[in-house]
Amino acid sequence: MIDDPSAGSPVATLPSPLARRQPIGEWDEDALVLGIETSCDETSAAVVRGGREILSNVVGSQTSLHGEYGGIVPEVAARAHVEALTPALAEALLQADATFWDLDAVAATRGPGLIGSLLVGIAEAKSIAAVLEVPFVAVNHLEAHLYSNLLADPKARFPALALIISGGHTLLVDAHDHGGYDVLGGTIDDAAGEAFDKVARFLGLDYPGGPEIDRLSLLGNPEAVRFPRAML
Amino acid sequence: MLVLGIETSTPQASVAIGSEQGVVASAMVSRGASYNEFLLPAIRFCLDEAGLGYRNLGGVAVGLGPGLYSGMRVGVATAKALAQALSVPIVGLASLDLVAYEVRYSAKTICAVLDARRNKVFHAFYRSSPGGIQRMTRHAIESPERLSVGIASRPEEVLMVGNGALLYRHIFEEAGSVIEVGSMSHAFPDARALVELAIPRMFREDFDSLFDLQPLYLRRSAKPIEWERIRGSRA
Ligand SMILES: [Zn+2]
Repeated sequence: MIDDPSAGSPVATLPSPLARRQPIGEWDEDALVLGIETSCDETSAAVVRGGREILSNVVGSQTSLHGEYGGIVPEVAARAHVEALTPALAEALLQADATFWDLDAVAATRGPGLIGSLLVGIAEAKSIAAVLEVPFVAVNHLEAHLYSNLLADPKARFPALALIISGGHTLLVDAHDHGGYDVLGGTIDDAAGEAFDKVARFLGLDYPGGPEIDRLSLLGNPEAVRFPRAML
Repeated sequence: MLVLGIETSTPQASVAIGSEQGVVASAMVSRGASYNEFLLPAIRFCLDEAGLGYRNLGGVAVGLGPGLYSGMRVGVATAKALAQALSVPIVGLASLDLVAYEVRYSAKTICAVLDARRNKVFHAFYRSSPGGIQRMTRHAIESPERLSVGIASRPEEVLMVGNGALLYRHIFEEAGSVIEVGSMSHAFPDARALVELAIPRMFREDFDSLFDLQPLYLRRSAKPIEWERIRGSRA
C-alpha cells in the first residue's frame, strides 16, 4: 500500500439513480436542461425548464481571488472552477428540486473565454451527459448572452435586434431567427467592459473596475462633459 | 467492485476499468488527440469492450498529478463529474506514487521523477514495503541539478524512474551518484496501476471528499500581472 498521509474524508452520498424521464431526442416544453458556465471568473450552474423557466441559477464569483492581482489570472480562474463547480452543480439541482437523472440535456459554454476555464466546464458537462445518456450541447458565449433576453423577458421573441455589451465584446446583431444571426457592427478596438476595466486600473480603483465606476458615476455631475449625440 | 481509473497528468493519458480480480479493460495514448477529446471516447471503448455500462461502476479513481496543469484539470474535472452524477465514491492518487509503484519489486531506494517543464522536475523518494511501496519524502518540485545533488549525497544506490529521469539522465549521472534509470515502459503513470491501488482504498472506505478533491499543483499559480509597472510606464 502507498502510505499516503493526506487521507480524505468519506464522500457525501447522493440519492441512488432513478430511471431516465424520457428517451433521447424527444423535446418538450418541460425538458430540463442543466447549463454550466465557466468561461471567465464566475462558476455558474443553472437548471432551466422548457428553455424559458429558470428553476435555479447558482453563481460563484472569484472576484476576491483576482482582486490582489488587479485583473483575472487565467491559471487562478481555472483552478477555482475545479473547486467551485462540484458544489455549484449540487446546489443548482437541489434548488431546482431535481436529480441528475431528471435532466434531458447538459449544456456548457464553448467559448469565447479563457481556454483553461472553459475546459473544466466542458469536461464536466460532457461527463455528466455521457453518464445520463442525454445530449451535450456546446453553446457559444455570445449566443448565450443574446438568448438570456428570452429568460429575462417572457415576451421576447425572434426576429430581434440585439446589442451585446460584455467584458470582451460589443456587438450589434440582427437575430432574425433561432440560431440565425448577422453581425451588423461592433467596436473597432476595445469592448465596452474592457474600456471600463482599463480606465479603472489607470485611475487606481479597486478590481473589478466596472461596478466601482458605476458607483462613483452616481456622485458625478452629468452636465460636466458635453458628448455628441449620434443621429441614426 | 468495478472502478474506473483516469490518469491524464502527463503527456501519456490512460483510462482503465478493473476490480479486485484485475483490470478488465484499458486504453492509452501518448500523442495526438487532446485529453478532452480522448477521455470520454476511451472510457466508452473500455465499457463497451468489457460489456459494461456507467451504472456498473462502483467508484472512480483519478491521478492527481503533480503534472501538466491542463491535463490534471481535465482528468480531475471529468472524474469528479462522473462520480457526482453516478453517486459513487472517488479516490485520488498522486501520479508520482503510481510511477514508483510500477517498480515496487526493487530493493533499491526508488526516486520517481516526472518532467515539470521549464527545467524543473516533480519528484519523491520511496522504498518498497510488503505489498507495495512507502513514500519517504513529500512530493516536491526542483531543478534536476538540485535533485542530482540530493541523490549524490545518498549512500545507497537509487533507482530513478519516470520521464524526468530519462530526460535528465545525463545530469544525474554526471553528479557521480550510483543510479539506475527505469525504462521507457515505466516512464509515465498508468491508469491500470491507479485502479489497482484505488481498489483497496475503496474497500477500506478511505474515500476522498468529492467537494475537496483538487489536482496536486505544487506550484503557485501564474505570476501576478504587474499592474504597478504598467501604470508606472505610462506616467
Ligand atoms: Zn459574457
